[in-house]
Amino acid sequence: MSRQKKGDPIAELRIRVIDYKDEKLLSRFISERGKILPRRLSGVSARHQRQLQVAIKRARYLALLPYIKGYKG
Amino acid sequence: MARPYEVVYIFDPALDEETINQKLSTFHSMVQLPGGEAPQLNHWGKRTLTYSIRKKDTGYYVVATFEAEATSLPEFERAIKLDEAVLRHLIVLNEEPPTPAQAAPARADYEEEE
Repeated sequence: MSRQKKGDPIAELRIRVIDYKDEKLLSRFISERGKILPRRLSGVSARHQRQLQVAIKRARYLALLPYIKGYKG
Repeated sequence: MARPYEVVYIFDPALDEETINQKLSTFHSMVQLPGGEAPQLNHWGKRTLTYSIRKKDTGYYVVATFEAEATSLPEFERAIKLDEAVLRHLIVLNEEPPTPAQAAPARADYEEEE
């Protein structure tokens, strides 16, 4: 029943400040449709989740990440 | 007080590199500190956009980092906004530079994980 607690995946990569230009890293923390994953699912620390939120939004603005994945406008 | 900034430009992919460099130097001359260092440029080149911007599916990305006076930024940004060749731009403070991706060990394994 109980799932094993995993450590912060971002801390494991020894990243202190998340780079909004690293779309490969950021894409791990978005859902199939492009939403930001809750930390409950990704296991990211609160500090990193706050950074991640800003980084993903910047990456979306720069068209590095989609706002909605699979949307054909 | 001068502070470090980072700017990402997305240029129209139809432009040649020379025109882009010319535009970059005009922009950067507005924020250049007297006797300061020239901005560091990183040309990513043409990349596919994840969604189209102004009906274009690709863009020419350039990342620039420099030190500038905050009071010079409004004029700088106005010039960028007026330039039709810039599809999009983002100016951010770069006080605590991000951990470089290369510093992250086992960069390859996070691609395989899922």
